[in-house]
Amino acid sequence: MIQIHCPYCGETLPELEFAYAGEAHIDRPVSPTEQTDEEWAEFLFMRQNVKGPHFERWRHVHGCGRFFNAVRNTITDRFYTTYKAGEPRPDLATLLEEDNK
Amino acid sequence: MSTYRVRGKGRVDASKPIVFTFDGKPYTGVKGDTVASALLSHGVHLMGRSFKYHRPRGAIAAGSEEPNALIGTRRGAGRFEPNTRATVQEIWEGLETTSQNKFPSLKFDVGAVNDAAYMMFSAGFYYKTFMWPRSFWDKVYEPFIRAAAGLGVSPTEHDPDTYASRNLYCDLLIVGAGPAGIAAAREASGKGLSVVLVDENAEMGGSILSEPQAKIEGKTSWDWLSDELADLKAAGVKLMTRTTAIAYYHENLIGLVEKLTDHLPTLPADTPRERMWRVRAKQVVLAQGALEKPLVFHGNDRPGVMLAGSAQTYLNRYGVKVGNSPVVVTSHDSAWYAAFDLQDAGAYVQAIVDTRAQVRQDLQAEARARGIPVKLSHTVTATGGRLRVNNVRVNPLSGTNVGAGQWIKCDALLMSGGWTPSLHLFSHTKGSLTWDDDLTTFLPKDTPEDCVITGASRGLWGTEAALRDGATRVGEALAKLGVEATATEYTVADDRTGSGVMMRELPTDRSPGKAKAFVDFQNDVTAKDLRLAVREGMRSIEHVKRYTTNGMATDQGKMSNINGLNIAADALGKKQPQVGLTTFRPPYTPTTFGAFAGYHRGEHFEVVRKTQIDGWAEENGAVFEPVGQWRRARYFPKAGETMDQAVTRECAATRASVGIFDASTLGKIEVVGPDAAEFVNRMYTNPFLKLAPGKCRYGLLLGDDGYIRDDGVIARVEEDRFHVTTTTGGAARVLNMMEDYLQTEWPDLNVWLTSTTEQWSTVALNGPNAAKLLAPFVEGIELTEEAFPHMSCVNCTVAGYPARLWRVSFTGEIGFEINVAAPYGRDLWEKLWEAGQKYDITAYGTETMHVLRAEKGYIIVGQDTDGTVTPQDAGMDWAVGKKKADFVGMRGLKRPDLVAENRKQLVGLLTEDNSWLEEGAQIVFDPKQPIPMTMRGHVTSSYNQGTTGRPIALAVIEGGHSKMGETVYIPMPDRTIAAKITGTVFYDPENSRLKI
Amino acid sequence: MSKHISSLAPSVVVDTAAARVAVSQLIGRISLRARTNENGGDLAAVGKAIGLELPTQIGTRAKAEGIEAACLGPDEWTVLVPLGQIEKVEDALAALYPSLPHSMTDITGREVTLTIEGPQAAELLSIGAPRDIASIKVGQARRMLFDGATVTLWRDSDTSFRMDVWNSFASFLVTTLETGAKELAAELA
Repeated sequence: MIQIHCPYCGETLPELEFAYAGEAHIDRPVSPTEQTDEEWAEFLFMRQNVKGPHFERWRHVHGCGRFFNAVRNTITDRFYTTYKAGEPRPDLATLLEEDNK
Repeated sequence: MSTYRVRGKGRVDASKPIVFTFDGKPYTGVKGDTVASALLSHGVHLMGRSFKYHRPRGAIAAGSEEPNALIGTRRGAGRFEPNTRATVQEIWEGLETTSQNKFPSLKFDVGAVNDAAYMMFSAGFYYKTFMWPRSFWDKVYEPFIRAAAGLGVSPTEHDPDTYASRNLYCDLLIVGAGPAGIAAAREASGKGLSVVLVDENAEMGGSILSEPQAKIEGKTSWDWLSDELADLKAAGVKLMTRTTAIAYYHENLIGLVEKLTDHLPTLPADTPRERMWRVRAKQVVLAQGALEKPLVFHGNDRPGVMLAGSAQTYLNRYGVKVGNSPVVVTSHDSAWYAAFDLQDAGAYVQAIVDTRAQVRQDLQAEARARGIPVKLSHTVTATGGRLRVNNVRVNPLSGTNVGAGQWIKCDALLMSGGWTPSLHLFSHTKGSLTWDDDLTTFLPKDTPEDCVITGASRGLWGTEAALRDGATRVGEALAKLGVEATATEYTVADDRTGSGVMMRELPTDRSPGKAKAFVDFQNDVTAKDLRLAVREGMRSIEHVKRYTTNGMATDQGKMSNINGLNIAADALGKKQPQVGLTTFRPPYTPTTFGAFAGYHRGEHFEVVRKTQIDGWAEENGAVFEPVGQWRRARYFPKAGETMDQAVTRECAATRASVGIFDASTLGKIEVVGPDAAEFVNRMYTNPFLKLAPGKCRYGLLLGDDGYIRDDGVIARVEEDRFHVTTTTGGAARVLNMMEDYLQTEWPDLNVWLTSTTEQWSTVALNGPNAAKLLAPFVEGIELTEEAFPHMSCVNCTVAGYPARLWRVSFTGEIGFEINVAAPYGRDLWEKLWEAGQKYDITAYGTETMHVLRAEKGYIIVGQDTDGTVTPQDAGMDWAVGKKKADFVGMRGLKRPDLVAENRKQLVGLLTEDNSWLEEGAQIVFDPKQPIPMTMRGHVTSSYNQGTTGRPIALAVIEGGHSKMGETVYIPMPDRTIAAKITGTVFYDPENSRLKI
Repeated sequence: MSKHISSLAPSVVVDTAAARVAVSQLIGRISLRARTNENGGDLAAVGKAIGLELPTQIGTRAKAEGIEAACLGPDEWTVLVPLGQIEKVEDALAALYPSLPHSMTDITGREVTLTIEGPQAAELLSIGAPRDIASIKVGQARRMLFDGATVTLWRDSDTSFRMDVWNSFASFLVTTLETGAKELAAELA
């Protein structure tokens, strides 16, 4: 069982308090009706399925209740960072560099 | 005193005899004995039969790595455990133990015929034998495999013991309380850290317990040990014995299993048998020591053949000589010490046979001084004796030539092939290993976890080296904890250090093809099997392992992995690291299911949620059913009633007068804020912006893919406050989905969601007399058609309690749902019940609720829908707002597949012969088509207890909406049922009964 | 017969040398959701309306005149109010709504409060809580997991806690705590 840092609570807590919520940074189109079938299918179904560092969402469902974003290595389960929903996507190269230190 | 007990030796208390039984025969051991040490003290080596060949076996080791001496232990009814290691189980007065894998008796076993049919059972036997003919699979092979499978006998009775679990956070966890672990604990103690030291044995000390001759810091090793442990305890170190670290999970989470009662003669109250500790340690020190390797030669499994280090442990820790005239065979210095100790304790060591040509002069001198014959450059090629070794064949070695054999009589054969670092937990961390050519073993290298490994686990040998290494290596962990380390430099006199060489199978002058030279004792894998596997094409050690089952027994290859690798590598002509080591997986030692289940068994198996009215239902004889985590009253049978009869009665009574139903489990979400209407409007298909306060509307919730996810009635309580209801099972899921959209897609909306499922007890009254019954209790609103029409909601007072009263119906009758603060629910229910007697009020459960709603064609999400049903499919296009700019699922509904022809659509079904249909039954159009038939849909709901006087069903059928009146067929095992497609409303299609 | 727990029937569940677990009396409870807004709406005003300084760090608490608030999320508080004062607090908050829209929901009936006290109270919580109880300081509160249920834990001293649990979970969790309190007492014996 891994531990996850909640960027809202400021605490690192057992995975059991959290729920995984899929890939991050997939915005629901503002005007869905203007989407072509292909665009809408892309939004609904297509995901990266990354082997390695993955931008993904978690929810501190048994704690503060917030959804937030994380970068986790899907091979090792290592979390490079977590950040609040709405914050910009961090630069992966910088994250990996910091992690190597 | 028993024959093999040595006075003055060991840590057992000879003044406290303990009687236990083995295969029905009583034996007397002493306090501190294990079953194995007690049996050995009586000269009993034969403790079990092997799994495959049923060969007689004795204890080969003295600890948890034991592969052979597996026994059943019993403590009265229900308390039976198979496959317990006799070398670990402590004895207590009255303990019953039995041997395994024998029939009719341990000494004469019919299954040993497998041993004679040895050639037949060689590697890959199952793969080769049980292939053809195909017709034999079910009738011949499977029964055979099932009969042969399984080690020991499973318990058949309910386990009356309890199990526990606990979470523990600490700064430093040290696994293994041998010299390295204790030295590490010493450095960490008294520094304000929380330190935990665990050991799987009944006593801490590890190898020190077997080495009383050593002097540590000027004290005898045992004095030093007890002083040290007392100091650690005084310094606040948590010391845990009989506690096995079974697994090392991510981020320093270690699973510990603490055995609390297996060693006690009487069971203390309120004490679990085992406790699983989930320890999250900031830093971990692994000091698990090393395991001795057996030597591989013909007859190395005969009872009386055991590891030299274990013989030393039996002598020094338990005061038991494993034999009076042992022979020692070794390729490592350590076994020489075992020979010396046994000789000094009164045994006559017949010979020390060492495969090496050169051995340290001091060891040879000590052997000479004791008069022990030494045979260097010798090998062992066979052993004799039926149920116990009584002689051993020893041959001289000259290069690769094996000279003539000579039989030496003995009553025990002690072997040592050197030592293998215990890297099990280290491997769990995905730590990398490095091959050491000098030690011919894998050593730990890097690990991604915050963990250091120390002592014999790093290939160090000797107490002083282990102490110093423990004290030094822990410094790395302490530094990360911000604590300065001192690294005590221990001095040990009379320390025993040494080295050795790696052997594969011992050289022999006989045909290796006929040798029964065991590598994996528990799975009966021989060196020949491993070589055969390589000859038959296995190249990776992982394949060799699975083909031969080497290392796959309950001991997880603790003794066999390295020997197996050495032999496989030799057969492949490669170096060991090129062949690789199989993966060590948790648990380290066999673990009970109870330890994993902890408190969650029996009635406490999982969370059971109960409403505040549940107690009334229980007292009134309700039959319950689980709905999600809830238990709900399913029906309320009167004496002698079946479910069908009870449900028929409940349905009729509700339609005739009034029924009362506990609807408290419905999910409820309070949506509050200036954007509440906008939010609800975006989430649900129906238009909500213009819903007036005090009104309710049915809502359908879709996913953005367009499929129905949930439904419920939604009330606008105030301008900026909605009370949303969800299905019972969907409550948490729907709230999560709403929070997701709100927090991440529409954070600009000024609205908040609060779960109020449990704020309210919800009592539903339905039936023509519902308003008459309820009216006298209500203050603040008149229950008339004009003042409080269908689909209204009001805050008022009911039976003196502040209430949120709804006029809604899930039955087609006049209906009310009365919400009061949860704790008052039961009182409200009872008041209505009492007043309802004059209307013959009837309590009904979920089954009647299902029937009554089905008669009206109201869907149940998750029963009539399955995640691929759209509102159109369900015939609920009316619930979809046509003028809305957007709602969740709106774009999804226009996906090509969702607007395609011939989708499965929800319809009613009436069987032509009035028979009842199975829910889930498949539907076909042409019953005469060849099998496999084309299935066109399935029955989703089906009831025969309703008010319509005949069975009704709902189904999803391809193009069903355009097939009204057509006949479809439901093939069942015994017959085919014909049914006519109808609309989904079976009762009161005009909704005339909703009017007060 | 299975357990049925109600805040209308306070009772002692178990009382051992290790810990005492009891069901508390019903008290008023409000779920408050609010955030500052661009129209000058200020959280301080919310605190003022309920009569205390609203804590803003998740896990912290404030108390004044019998009213107690714990911050459970970035825009979420649970406010404990004596039953007789709920209406007054609700009115004060309602008056604030036009300038600072917020959500105020009465959850008095939603939860049952268990008190867990005694020398081994924290240890008792460790049988069901995956998180480290020591990380919850005296005077703080957290929403967390306990034996599979979401609960709110208030730490009042080293050895005394209050646990708010949704009422439907109460009978299950009380059984866990009862078993644990007896087990811990047996360890002390």
